[in-house]
Amino acid sequence: MSFTRMMEGNEAAAWGAKLARADVVPAYPITPQTELISNIASLIADGTMKTEYIKVEGEHTAMAAAVGASAAGARVFTASSSQGIAFMDEPLWIPPGRRLPIVMCMVNRSMAPLGGLRPDHNDSMHQRDKGWILLYCENSQEVLDTILQAYKIAENPEIYLPVGVCYDGYFVSATATPTTVPDQAKVDEWLPPYKHEWYDLMPDSYKMPPPKSFLKQRIGVAEAHQKAKKVIEAVDVDYKKHFGRGYGGLIEEYNCDGAEAVLVTMDSMTGTAKDVIDEMRADGKTIGLIKLKCFRPFPTEKFREIAPKYNAIGVVDRNNSFGSAGGGIVAVELARALYDLSERPVIANFHVGLSGTDVTMNQIRYMADETLEAAKKGKVKQVVDWVETHDLGEVM
Amino acid sequence: MYNDEFEKYYEEQLIQGGTTCCPGCGGPLFWKLALKTLGKNTIVYGDGPCAMCALRSIKIPHYAIHFSFIADGATGISAALRAKGRNDVTLVSSGGDGASSDISFGKISAAAERNENMIQICIDNEAYMNTGIQKSGLTPYGAWTTTTPTGKESNKKDIPMIVAAHKVPYVATASVAYPQDLARKLEKAKSIDGFKYIHTVIPCPTGWRFDPAKAVEVTRLGVDTWVNPLYEVEAGVLKVNRKAEAKPVQEYLGAQGRFRRLSEDQIAYVQGEVDKKRDDLLANDAKKIIH
Repeated sequence: MSFTRMMEGNEAAAWGAKLARADVVPAYPITPQTELISNIASLIADGTMKTEYIKVEGEHTAMAAAVGASAAGARVFTASSSQGIAFMDEPLWIPPGRRLPIVMCMVNRSMAPLGGLRPDHNDSMHQRDKGWILLYCENSQEVLDTILQAYKIAENPEIYLPVGVCYDGYFVSATATPTTVPDQAKVDEWLPPYKHEWYDLMPDSYKMPPPKSFLKQRIGVAEAHQKAKKVIEAVDVDYKKHFGRGYGGLIEEYNCDGAEAVLVTMDSMTGTAKDVIDEMRADGKTIGLIKLKCFRPFPTEKFREIAPKYNAIGVVDRNNSFGSAGGGIVAVELARALYDLSERPVIANFHVGLSGTDVTMNQIRYMADETLEAAKKGKVKQVVDWVETHDLGEVM
Repeated sequence: MYNDEFEKYYEEQLIQGGTTCCPGCGGPLFWKLALKTLGKNTIVYGDGPCAMCALRSIKIPHYAIHFSFIADGATGISAALRAKGRNDVTLVSSGGDGASSDISFGKISAAAERNENMIQICIDNEAYMNTGIQKSGLTPYGAWTTTTPTGKESNKKDIPMIVAAHKVPYVATASVAYPQDLARKLEKAKSIDGFKYIHTVIPCPTGWRFDPAKAVEVTRLGVDTWVNPLYEVEAGVLKVNRKAEAKPVQEYLGAQGRFRRLSEDQIAYVQGEVDKKRDDLLANDAKKIIH
């Protein structure tokens, strides 16, 4: 039976894995992902969830075991954070090339040195070049729903790519928000059992895809990413039809009608930003918001379609890309996406919320005002603005 | 003249009649013998050293990543088999000496600790032969490699005994020079639930520096000199399988170019180490050594 209650992001993720009937969960604990896997252990212990939970000795093995299990025909779920994802770096390259539809929660946490336990997005964003689909979530409900969507996307034979379901440590992972857990039978109806059309490791039905050249394999992954954009949108629409909740697929446009400038946010800060946008709109300021839900594949076409409507886009990057062509990872991506347009907005770029500092309403208001000013002047004050270095009259 | 029998013979083998391995490599020989016992209903996960070349030629399901991935993917496959209720399939996880003793040592230890249901096999040719003969944790004392040009200064890790100390149900050393003993041990491993470990030192004429035609002969000398003794540890009880009078180690060392630089003192040291190991094994034969 479906039920609704207050639930932390990590618990919602465990329910997502349960509802997806993940057959195998190889996982290694790391803060702030730990409650996710201990919730899975509890769901198994009380008989709610039937899965093979392998308590592996490290993240490298967690992903390698995920690869083995997925190739052997099991639906696989795992999760990690920060240094754990970095320790997994070598095996994380395997599922995209081998086209294994593994779903992994990346519970965002900043990287060492001096990284605390709290979030920024560098840990998951550094997976951007490997071929993983990367989806970002704002709250517990979205985490649960996105995990179910992720399997539907990943296991589409046109796609066969692993999906990272990313959400901020603490702000999402340990913050309880009202969450509806859908009925298992309804999920079963929507998400059929996993069967890979290319692989079968069982001796009596063994099959393997014929060997490909490196180039063909890489082109295959690139093409799957291109196709995934349509599939991600279609899956979201279909999910909304069945469960009543959707997230816009690749991006969500919030209060954008008539806006001359927009902020682009990701993950948990989006909730706060929506409130600020509402207030500013009430004050007559023409600012809107775009939530970047899908970072990989990057929604290039979508942005090219909507960008000419705005004079400026303010990209909020909760990450660093040191020595980059200019600014944070999303800003650089967006600049490339819009480069070929004859009329394009200016791109303002902000670093904020690094190492899990709170992204405050004042900061969002500041970034919105700066972006509006850039829209008016047709240029930005600086390539990238480290927002936390300004005294905005609040205690950080 | 076209020979039907020859064709039929290769048809029946679970390894193709042609590999990319060097002449005299023990890899294909090991897999040919092993698969005869393990049978068709087997999944092999893992890399080997050069034994990877041999694995590419096997005719049963095989899945590998790199040599830093030993026992881990098999852990996943094992879980998938449980999830599917397939308890009829034998799961083998393979790794070379560098993988098993160095880069994936922790993975084998962890799989042993979890008592994963698989046969973990170490195909030990005593160096990173695939990359061109570099020292590994299983390179023996005194052996020349390209990274130990004056001979290795430390001893070989005793992986079978380390794995046995994990209290796994079955550990054995085996040799392609004693195929019946090898077959019996794989048969036994196949019949036991949980983590089984088989360690086999295979010959590498290229890295050990000897005539490929003498591959089995040199391997047999390794056993007969007690440098690589044959034993098994079942439920903690040691059983020494071959107790023949030991030949002097010089016969084994002298047959290989990689030990050419060893001084008389060094050879005496190796003999002393081998004697101690032999005495220790014989003193504990038929006794419970892991409690």
